[in-house]
Amino acid sequence: MTVFICKEQVDDIWCGIYEAWMSRLGHANVRLEPEGRNRELFCDYRQVETCAKKAAKVTDSIRNRLTEDIYELVYKAALSQDADRADRIYRFLIYAFHIGSRVTDMLQIPAVFEIFQINRNLNIEFNHMQGFTRFSQMEEGVLLGRIGPKNDLTALLANHFADRLSFENWILYDCTRMKAAVHRAGEGWIMVQADSAEWQNRLQKATDENEYELLWKTFCESIAIRERSNPRCQMNMLPLRFRPFMTEFQ
Amino acid sequence: MLIQEAMSIQQKLEILSDAAKYDVACTSSGVDRKGTGSGLGNTVGAGICHSFSADGRCISLLKILFTNQCIYDCKYCINRRSNDVVRTAFTPDEVCTLTMQFYRRNFIEGLFLSSGILYTADYTMELIYQTLYRLRNDHHFNGYIHVKAIPGASPELIDRIGFLADRMSVNLELPTAEGLRTLAPGKTRDKILVPMRQVQQGIAAQNRRFLEGGGRIRRLASYGMSNSPQHPGRNVWVPQDNPGQRNFVPAGQSTQMIVGATPENDYQMVRVAEALYQKFDLKRVFYSAFVRVNDDSNLPALPGGPPLLREHRLYQADWLLRFYGFQAAELLSEERPNFNILLDPKCDWALRHLELFPVEINKADYYTLLKVPGLGVKSAKRIAAARRQGVLNFADLKKLGVVLKRAVYFITCSGKTFQPFKLDENYITNQLIGAEQRKVWDIEHHSSYRQLSLFDDYKVTAPVTSADRQAVVSGAL
Repeated sequence: MTVFICKEQVDDIWCGIYEAWMSRLGHANVRLEPEGRNRELFCDYRQVETCAKKAAKVTDSIRNRLTEDIYELVYKAALSQDADRADRIYRFLIYAFHIGSRVTDMLQIPAVFEIFQINRNLNIEFNHMQGFTRFSQMEEGVLLGRIGPKNDLTALLANHFADRLSFENWILYDCTRMKAAVHRAGEGWIMVQADSAEWQNRLQKATDENEYELLWKTFCESIAIRERSNPRCQMNMLPLRFRPFMTEFQ
Repeated sequence: MLIQEAMSIQQKLEILSDAAKYDVACTSSGVDRKGTGSGLGNTVGAGICHSFSADGRCISLLKILFTNQCIYDCKYCINRRSNDVVRTAFTPDEVCTLTMQFYRRNFIEGLFLSSGILYTADYTMELIYQTLYRLRNDHHFNGYIHVKAIPGASPELIDRIGFLADRMSVNLELPTAEGLRTLAPGKTRDKILVPMRQVQQGIAAQNRRFLEGGGRIRRLASYGMSNSPQHPGRNVWVPQDNPGQRNFVPAGQSTQMIVGATPENDYQMVRVAEALYQKFDLKRVFYSAFVRVNDDSNLPALPGGPPLLREHRLYQADWLLRFYGFQAAELLSEERPNFNILLDPKCDWALRHLELFPVEINKADYYTLLKVPGLGVKSAKRIAAARRQGVLNFADLKKLGVVLKRAVYFITCSGKTFQPFKLDENYITNQLIGAEQRKVWDIEHHSSYRQLSLFDDYKVTAPVTSADRQAVVSGAL
C-alpha cells in the first residue's frame, strides 16, 4: 500500500488525487490521508507537493469529461469536515470516470453514498449559515461577520453574500480556520489568510453595534408567543453551536 | 383613541412586533431573484430562516404592524377597538430604516408588513404603499416583501402595491362565513375574497403577458392537486430575464386561518384550504392555533393551551394536498371529520386503504411511491432515480432517507417484506402508534421532559419486601 499524504485545502486534495492516480500503482494499492495520522507498517508514505498546474488538470478533466454537477459534488466534498474526504473523493472519482454522469443517482454504491452524505451534511450547514450568519458594522461602514462552521463554508457563503450585499463592504471571518473573505462594494471578493497579528488586531476593533443589536434583541423577544413556548423545538431548529456567533443570543 | 407618537423606535418595535406575532408568514415556496447590481438584496425560492424564537417558530421576516390602531372589533384580535392597549404607529421612514439596517446585518430575509386599520382601509393601504415605494425606489431594496392586502381597499391601490411586493396575503381568518359573523363583525366573506380574486387575476394576467411576449414558463414544485400525473407542475413565472422591471406579486399569495376559535371541524378546514388552492391559486395556506388573548364570552376556553397538535395535523394534511396528490375527500369525510390524534394523516389514510399495499419499491410509479407512509418527495425522487441503475433493497432505502419505521409495513423490495408481519389494520396500527405516541406527547407536553417511571406511568405499587432486599444485597435478582 502506498499512502499519499496531502494537506487540507481544496487544491492540496486535487494534487493528492493527481499524484495517487498518476502513480499507476493501481487504485487498490493507493490511499490518500491527511497529515498527522499514525503511520502503519508495510506502507510506503509519500508527501504530496501542491502545485496549481496539477490541481487544474484534475478539475479540468472532471469538468470536461464528466459534468459540472459532479464537479460541484466533489468540490463541496473537498470543503467538508470529513477527515477522510480526499480518499472518499478518490474512490468516488474511480466510479465516476467509469460510469459517467449517471453515477450521481447510484446511491447503492458505498463510494457514491459517502459523497452524497458528505454533501448533504455540508448543504444543510450551508443553508443554516445563510440565515444564521450575523454581520455587525465596524468603522467606515464595513460589515464584519464572524462564523465558525464545521465545514469550510467561507467561499460558498461569500458567493451568497456577494450577490445579496453587493453594494456593501464586508468581511466574512471564519474563526476556526482563521481565514476571511473580503468583499469590496460593487466588486468581487477575495479570500485571505487572516491569522497575522495585524488582521487579528483589526478584527478585534470595537463595532458600533449597540443600537441595532438592541432593536434586534427586542424584536426576537417580542415576536415569540408565550403560550406556545417550546425551547426544545427551538433547539432542534437552531442548535446551540450556532448561538455564540448570533447577535440575539449574546 | 390616542396614538402615541413620541415613542422611541425600540418601544414602537416592541409593541408593533408583539401585535404582529400571531400572523404566520414564511418565505418558502417564494421566488428566486438574483441581486440587481444596483441595490441591496436578493431572494431565494426555498426561503431562508434567519433565527428561531423561543416558541420554535422561524424568524425570517421583520414581522411588524404598521399601526396597531384599528377600527374593527374582531373578538380574537389583541388590537381590537375595545381593547385598552397602547396604540402607536411607525412612519414609513422608520420602517425603511429598520428593514435596511436589519437586512444589511443579515438579521432578516425581508419585510412582513401588516397593519391595523387606521381611519379607513384606503388610508392604511396608502401608507403601506408609501413605505414600500420608498423601500424599493429610494433605498433600492431588492429583498423579499410580504404585505397584507386589507379587505375593502380600492383595487387600484392593491394593484400598485402588488407591483412592489413579492407576496400578498389576505387573511381568511375563519373557515366559514358563520364563524366570521360571530367573531369578526366588521368583516364578511365576500369582502375578504374580493382582493384575493384581484391578486389572482393580476398574476394570471401577468403570466399571459409574459407568454405573449415569447417568455418561457418554468415548472416548479410538483403540485398534485389536479390529480393528473401528466400535469404535476404549477406554472410559476420566474422573473430572471428582466431584472429591472418589477412583476406583479411574483411569490404568489397566501392566506391564514385560525384553528380552534370556532367549532369548525378539520374536514371543513381542509376543504376550504383545497378550494383556495384550486380556485384562487394560492401558494400557501397558513394555520394558526388559536391563542386566547382576549377574555370574551364568544371565544372558546382552552384549558390545554393552544390546539398545537391540531395545527400540526392540518399542516401535515396541507402538505399532502400540495405535494403528494391527495384530495381533501380522501383524507377525511363527513363521517370522520377530524384527524386521528395518534397517527399522521398519511398513515391514517394508508391504514384505511390497505388493499393498495404493499407497494413494490422497484416497480411502483412515482405517484404511488408518494402515497407510502415514510416516503417523502425527496426520497421518492431518489428511489425513482436510483432504481434505474440497479435493484434496491431495504438497506439502500435507509441510505436514501426513507423512514423505514413507518414504511416497512407498506412496501416490498423485490417481492419481500422487511420482516414477516400481518397485513392487518389493527396489527399495523399498534406497531405504528408505539412510535407515534412519543411524538404526540412531545408536541402536547413540550418543555416538560421526564423519564418514564414504572411506578408513575404503569402504576406498579407492590411494596418492597424483605425478600427483595436480600435478593438485591446477595445479587440473586
